[in-house]
Amino acid sequence: MSNNQKQLYAIGALFDSPDKIIYAANKIREAGFVNYDVNTPYPIHGMDKAMGLKSSKIGYVTLFAGFFGASFILSFMWWTLSVSYPLVIGGKPYFPLPAFVPITFEFTVLSAVVSTAIALIAVAFNFPYNSHPLHDSYYMKNVSSDKFGIVIEAIDEKFKKEDTENLLKSLGAYFTELIYKPEEKTFKIFEPKFLAFLLIIALITSGSTYVTLNKLMYMPPFDFMLHQNRGNAQAKSNFFYNTREMRNPVKGTVAQGYIPYPFNATDSTEYFADPLLPTMEVLRLGQKKFLTFCSPCHGNYADGNSRLQGQFPPGPTLHSQQVINYSDGKIYNIITNGQNVMPSYARQINSNERWAIINYIRVLQRAQNPKPEDFSAIKEIKKENDDNASN
Amino acid sequence: MQKNDTQKELEKLGMSEQKEEKDPNYWRSFKELFQDKSLLELKRHEFGEGVTEDFDPSNLKGISRRKFLTLVGASAALAAAGCSEYRNKGDIVPYNKMPEDVVVGNSNYYASTSTACRTGCGVLIKTREGRPIKVDGNPDHPISKGKTCAKCQASILSLYDPERLQEPMKKTQNGSFINTTWKVVDDDIIDLLSKAEGRQIAVITHTINSPTTKKVLDDFAEKYPGVKIYSYELFDEHLRDSAWRKCYGSGSFPILKWNEAKIIVGLEADFLGSEGDKVETARLFSEGREVNNLDKFNRLYVIEGNMTITGMNADYRIRLRPDAQYEFVMSLLNEISKHGVSIPANISLRSFNLESFSAKHNVSIKKLNHLIKDLLENRGKSIVYAGRTLPEKVHIAVNLLNEVLGNTELYRKDVSIHNVISLSSYDDFSNLTQQIKNGEVAVVIHFDSNPVFHLPKELDYENALKKVPCVISLTGNKNESSLNSNFVLPINHDFESWGDFKTRTGFYSMQQPVIDPIFNSRQKEAILLNWINGKPVYYDPMVYHKYLKQNWQQNIYPTTKSKLSFNEFWNAGLHDGVIFIDESVSGSTTFNTDALSVLDQEKSDNSTYVLLLREGYQSGDGRFLNNGWMLELPHPVSKVTWDNYAAISNSTAKALNVKSNDVISINTPGTNLKIPVFIQPGAADNTIAIELGFGRKVVGVVGEGVGFDAIPLMSYSNSHSPWIISASNILKTDENYKLVSTIDHHMMEEVREKNIAEKRKIIQEGTVKEYKRNSKFLSKKNEKNNLSIYNEHDYPGVKWGMVVDLNKCIGCGECVVACVAENNIPVVGKDQVAVSREMQWLRVDRYYSGSIDDPKVSNELMLCQQCDNAPCENVCPVAATTHSPDGLNQMVYNRCVGTRYCSNNCPYKVRRFNFFNYRDHFKNGYQQSNLLSLVYNPEVTVRSRGVMEKCTFCIQRIMEARSEAIKEHRPLKGSDVTTACQDACNTNAIKFGDINDKESEFYKFREHELGYYVLEDLNTKPNVTYIAKLRNTDAEEI
Amino acid sequence: MTNDYSVDMVIVEGNPKLRDIDEAVIAPIEKKASKKYFIALSITGTLLMIGAVCITLTFYYGIGLWGNNIPNAWAFAITNFVFWIGIGHAGTLISAILYLLRQHWRNGVARFAEAMTIFAVMCAGIFPIIHTGRPWLAGYLLPYPNQHSIWPNFVSPLVWDVFAVSTYFTVSLIFWYIGLIPDFATLRDKAVTKAKKFIYSFFSLGWRHSNRHWRHYEKVYMILAGIATPLVLSVHTVVSWDFAASIIPGWHSTIFPPYFVAGAIFSGFAMVSTVLIFVRKIFNMEHIITLNHIEKMNQVILLTGSMVGYAYIIEWFMAWYSGSTFELFETVHRAFGIYGWAYWLMVSCNVIFPQLFWLKKVRRSIPITLAIVILVNVGMWFERFVIIVSSLSQDFLPTSWAAFVPTIYDFGILLGSFGLFFTLILLFAKTLPVISISELKGVMRDAQPTHQGVDHE
Repeated sequence: MSNNQKQLYAIGALFDSPDKIIYAANKIREAGFVNYDVNTPYPIHGMDKAMGLKSSKIGYVTLFAGFFGASFILSFMWWTLSVSYPLVIGGKPYFPLPAFVPITFEFTVLSAVVSTAIALIAVAFNFPYNSHPLHDSYYMKNVSSDKFGIVIEAIDEKFKKEDTENLLKSLGAYFTELIYKPEEKTFKIFEPKFLAFLLIIALITSGSTYVTLNKLMYMPPFDFMLHQNRGNAQAKSNFFYNTREMRNPVKGTVAQGYIPYPFNATDSTEYFADPLLPTMEVLRLGQKKFLTFCSPCHGNYADGNSRLQGQFPPGPTLHSQQVINYSDGKIYNIITNGQNVMPSYARQINSNERWAIINYIRVLQRAQNPKPEDFSAIKEIKKENDDNASN
Repeated sequence: MQKNDTQKELEKLGMSEQKEEKDPNYWRSFKELFQDKSLLELKRHEFGEGVTEDFDPSNLKGISRRKFLTLVGASAALAAAGCSEYRNKGDIVPYNKMPEDVVVGNSNYYASTSTACRTGCGVLIKTREGRPIKVDGNPDHPISKGKTCAKCQASILSLYDPERLQEPMKKTQNGSFINTTWKVVDDDIIDLLSKAEGRQIAVITHTINSPTTKKVLDDFAEKYPGVKIYSYELFDEHLRDSAWRKCYGSGSFPILKWNEAKIIVGLEADFLGSEGDKVETARLFSEGREVNNLDKFNRLYVIEGNMTITGMNADYRIRLRPDAQYEFVMSLLNEISKHGVSIPANISLRSFNLESFSAKHNVSIKKLNHLIKDLLENRGKSIVYAGRTLPEKVHIAVNLLNEVLGNTELYRKDVSIHNVISLSSYDDFSNLTQQIKNGEVAVVIHFDSNPVFHLPKELDYENALKKVPCVISLTGNKNESSLNSNFVLPINHDFESWGDFKTRTGFYSMQQPVIDPIFNSRQKEAILLNWINGKPVYYDPMVYHKYLKQNWQQNIYPTTKSKLSFNEFWNAGLHDGVIFIDESVSGSTTFNTDALSVLDQEKSDNSTYVLLLREGYQSGDGRFLNNGWMLELPHPVSKVTWDNYAAISNSTAKALNVKSNDVISINTPGTNLKIPVFIQPGAADNTIAIELGFGRKVVGVVGEGVGFDAIPLMSYSNSHSPWIISASNILKTDENYKLVSTIDHHMMEEVREKNIAEKRKIIQEGTVKEYKRNSKFLSKKNEKNNLSIYNEHDYPGVKWGMVVDLNKCIGCGECVVACVAENNIPVVGKDQVAVSREMQWLRVDRYYSGSIDDPKVSNELMLCQQCDNAPCENVCPVAATTHSPDGLNQMVYNRCVGTRYCSNNCPYKVRRFNFFNYRDHFKNGYQQSNLLSLVYNPEVTVRSRGVMEKCTFCIQRIMEARSEAIKEHRPLKGSDVTTACQDACNTNAIKFGDINDKESEFYKFREHELGYYVLEDLNTKPNVTYIAKLRNTDAEEI
Repeated sequence: MTNDYSVDMVIVEGNPKLRDIDEAVIAPIEKKASKKYFIALSITGTLLMIGAVCITLTFYYGIGLWGNNIPNAWAFAITNFVFWIGIGHAGTLISAILYLLRQHWRNGVARFAEAMTIFAVMCAGIFPIIHTGRPWLAGYLLPYPNQHSIWPNFVSPLVWDVFAVSTYFTVSLIFWYIGLIPDFATLRDKAVTKAKKFIYSFFSLGWRHSNRHWRHYEKVYMILAGIATPLVLSVHTVVSWDFAASIIPGWHSTIFPPYFVAGAIFSGFAMVSTVLIFVRKIFNMEHIITLNHIEKMNQVILLTGSMVGYAYIIEWFMAWYSGSTFELFETVHRAFGIYGWAYWLMVSCNVIFPQLFWLKKVRRSIPITLAIVILVNVGMWFERFVIIVSSLSQDFLPTSWAAFVPTIYDFGILLGSFGLFFTLILLFAKTLPVISISELKGVMRDAQPTHQGVDHE
């Protein structure tokens, strides 16, 4: 505290047998003292009675902590395995109670014990303060070894220095000691030592964090199999001279389903026939591809109503008599090799899809000038499309 | 004490405040009464000191909450400085010009032809972004019908073998090789060739099945007159074919209708394992093992000297030393002649008699009579098939037997074997060595062949080679022959080559490359073409492609009378992989009895030892000896990996006083061999069976010191046949050599119970008769589904399941290699297999039952059973293995901590653990090389060390199929997915599909009355059903 | 020497003064360490180093360095784990159960036993972590919110283990520490050097031997003892479930929990007396850790040893009675298979030799006791080895059977664990009171009031 002059804390008296201390404790209590205490190297039977102390209530902490722990862990396990991330494990239900019993028990014990211990330390020892005027006193050194002592604090209302000392002597104390409060020490937070300490901690933490996050985590086997020892698509190769893991197919080879297109843009392909039937699947496929690749220029209904609004020479309508007269083979040729400003779509659209598109274009063309029997069919397609849209 | 003090002060203050409005005469304490100074002082403050002052951490006492927070905050702030951005995860290198037929991330398939063996099966090579990653069968191919053999699967590993030759090499004076350029070697060689005038230019090659290659060689011979072609195989059909020609005049032994045979008798013939067109034979054979068609069920008799795949599948197996086969066939002839089958007069069978035979070789007479009965009852519906290693006269006798029994019905008349170039005879080669010794040979060209290793020692080829001024080896990897060459020229792998093949009449099989040459290598034909064209100014990589196309356009296309233009015809051909033509087969079918003159009265001598040399299952003729996948494939019978051995019978071992792993030395005239012994149940006494193709001296790091080279024991100048040699003396040495196998024999010997597999309900079998009598005989374990205290989860939609038909499974192990290729399973090496840490997800369990001399063999495919109540899932602490909605037992690699508890709790022990990073551990990082890593499947995680792994029913394929189905707006069907093992299985023993789809073909088997689960009593509810094996024996066991 | 069981045994011989107790207990801490001590320390330190090297190599190369394989995915590591956990059990048993049973003789050995518990559990705790394929991910076993938003599988016995062992460790530590607080205070008040004083006063939490604290203190001690008793029984039960909850023949057995607990106490007591016999000699505390203590513990060993023997017999009965071909085969193979030698070693060490303790002479003879308890330790280690390895090596499918052959790394790490254990023991004996001063004082002759003084006026 602020004033330098030492304040009296208490008077301590030492006795040399358990009988005497019990006797003395009784007397002190009867004398009406409140702020006094008995210090003995080991618990003395009957001392609580002599001092008139009730038995400790700390047991309730254990009880509640135990209950809390049990209910918490059980509900936690239920939540994790049945709500947060339900998984079928070994054909067991999501909440196999028997399997949860052991953990529930263990956790109950854990929470009970830990909280009890904390309660003891925090309540009884008013943690985190562990300095006390009694420490380092001759009195203390003795009671912690083989003597038995009573200490009466100065704040007690009955406390009068001399009288109390005499009283204690009369009770058979072979020694009494005046115990003073120690100086309150504060230590400066900005002193270099402490800052250096902080700095070191910071360096260690940040250093280790950096190494872990940016080095270790990318180092097999710590990298969570990020580095895959295999050829991935578009990966960089350490083997091939052009550092590309992807190879080009060998010239002249024919992959399954990729019969090379034998014609050039100029060849006549009149007899090059459409292998597909205009089934619903084919038309759907054709529609999908048409809307993806063709409609930007030729318009959603192949009417040349370009979506590009003249940023690019608009594609012609496909409903012109000329186009209607085109053979399928010719259109296929155009899609494959391109025509005028239209580039080749061979790489984007495989041959199957090209035929599907052609089928779809034919449908669109027919939709423009339908034959009477078509209407029913069109209705049907509409309906199915709606169904598709709906589900 | 702070607390106590403030309390005290505050309580006084409180009291004193009251005192203000109350009567001043009331006092509580003496202090108050006497107006104590300190009290007055205290009254000034409203609160105790230290409470109202501005916050200054320095003045805080001891450790207070505030100070604590200050410190935490400060250090946390500083620590946060450590977290910075993550490192970049590498570059992306896209195509700069997208090829038309490649979609990044999708697979392409190229039809081609495998030259792993003579058969030349059609394959579909799966490529990803132009990189081959897997070999599947080509369904259009008439021989393989979409199936592949293990070698075919493994050949892709050789493509990416980092040890392939990368540059042409030239031998210097001091005998070492130096890399040089093609220009240099071409010039040098062309000089040498043109200077060879008069003297011979020997081209030594394996079988040539390609008409165009033949044309190249012809052109070559035209350009350089000295050229002479020699072709050979380590194992060939020359004995069978010459016997055939003797009996029927011309042609070669016909192709058989295995699927129509009721009785099949194999004499020392491993036609399901290593002989003939095995892929086709196995398929046809298994058609006679269809549990839903018992009338077609065939019966297999095998008479052999050592246990083979065929022997494992025999209904009746007789162990017989190979040199007694002749005696056996003659005795059969004699016996059936007694039953009124007319035998040509000009052979005398008097001295042969079945009884005495059975007594001499203590073969159960019951079995023999049974055989006779079957043969007589099934005339025209049975096949007696002699192995290619048997002497000519056995084949003649067998031809006679088939002839008199009318079994020629089962010879295919519509199609026959087609030999583009017939193989050279032994005499050709001995002449060659003679001419070499006489200095009449200027140049020897090893045309993708390895004669130094393959040719028998008695030819002394290696020394002869030293006399040749110029030896040229065209080879993919270094080998014994290339070591003795002046020029070593790297050639393309099959997957980098163009070609056309004709192994049978009626169709051509096309070969197209799937990747540009990885190294500076050239196709072997192209090299010759270069030399033909004389001094080349430059090399055109497409030169052979053009040549091939031209040859077809000019010579073959016209004969096909195709309607298509040549271009379309050609592309269609490449697309399909096969081009059919109609050809008629000629060849007389009248039996020429003069051939019988060679049938003498020779009898075998039981007391002597006889050597039986067989083709290795794993190494082929030795060209797969640098291939980890093949070497780690457990031997189908003995389950030994990484070695070959001398297989002998138990009693022979006792006679020699040896145990397994003891080394014996085999001494034949001119050579001796030290080789470890392996006691093979069911081997014939005094017969020592050794597989060839092992023990190469010059091979890569993988094959180094693998096995023992028994080829020197081969001998043509021997009474029996090149592969059946009577060995004078066998000696026990005191050496010891550890053979490692995936089934721990030591532990198996520990077993004190006989037939433990049946007892434990691991294997459940019956006989056809039994099944016919009572189709429910397989005590249907009916207490299903009622054992669990929990009610089951239901799996709506697709639920995956597998059925393994043990009637069809022949235990060849091809599925294993397919699985390895599909699922990026590492090779672990001999040392790790020795401590039983092999990684294969799929294994073929082999159980013997009965006596050690005459055991019954049961094979069982064992893979993750995907149990509904998976014991492994319960015990995984981190939920790394759980159940998917489609009923799969999933393995989450990245969650796995590696406690290995799941493996402990797996009753089937199908889980595999990465004890090391095997890609790094095996041959220090061989599998991590940038090249080899290209073979791995991009769709499958490459597991790091410390992770558990197991079969996942090829989940990547399931996912691919599912995304396809979603793309096409249709529900996923069970038949959309096939697993890798299923694709490879030659006999369709593996079936995969949707358990919930009651209509499917698969479901029939899933709920088959012969179906059972392994260890069903554990109630793990597996999703792999096994169809119990039916042995086609008579009920009374023989 | 004779002793009469009708009267309570003498706890401290030769009735010393309270202060002498202090001296006796604090002497080893205050006095400079002898040469003997440093020799011992260097030996254990070397073992510890060996273990450390082996573990580092294992981290670098992977578990492959060990002998483990499929099917023997568990072997030495888990054997050691169970072994050490078992050792730990004596401590809590002595300090908790005997406390509740008012067995005053426990005071002499309680502190030491508790310390050994903690060290043993520390040794045990290492193994589950290092035996995993990817030890750096061991955190996955803890239920913490993570970016996978996935949780541990609380159904797995290994997760039960995590909870059981960590709980056990925490509780033992707290129990031990609470017991130490008054002694720390005593040490604090005896300390001369500044450093020691600082440390001791830090750990003594300002304990003042105040009776107002003693009453809370005693209550808490009683509660902890009460809770620790079911805990100590539960821990090895949970550990045994690692095996009992699986389906492997030889593991899947209901007798495991009691069998394991008995075995644990058995081995624990053996280890305690092994160590105490040396400690009482080295730090000459024969009068505090008396022959009576040794005898009492020998009696416990005899009892638990017989229980273990009973379990062995029952296993045979069950194998036959269950009618399971796997069980029967496994049991037979265990005794007569390739690991038969281990089985018979285990039986003789755990069942046969301890029977000698029926003789009082043997119970009270230090050398024989020492020999037997060491044998018991060996035997109990092999019991775990037999249970784990011989069961795994031959389970359901004969084709997957394989033998387990340990490598030098297995042995190195085993030695290392012993090194760690004894190093900690030595350090403990040198720095902390190996005997609970306050408790011991409390139970000494005329330590408690006769209550005459109160009445006379």
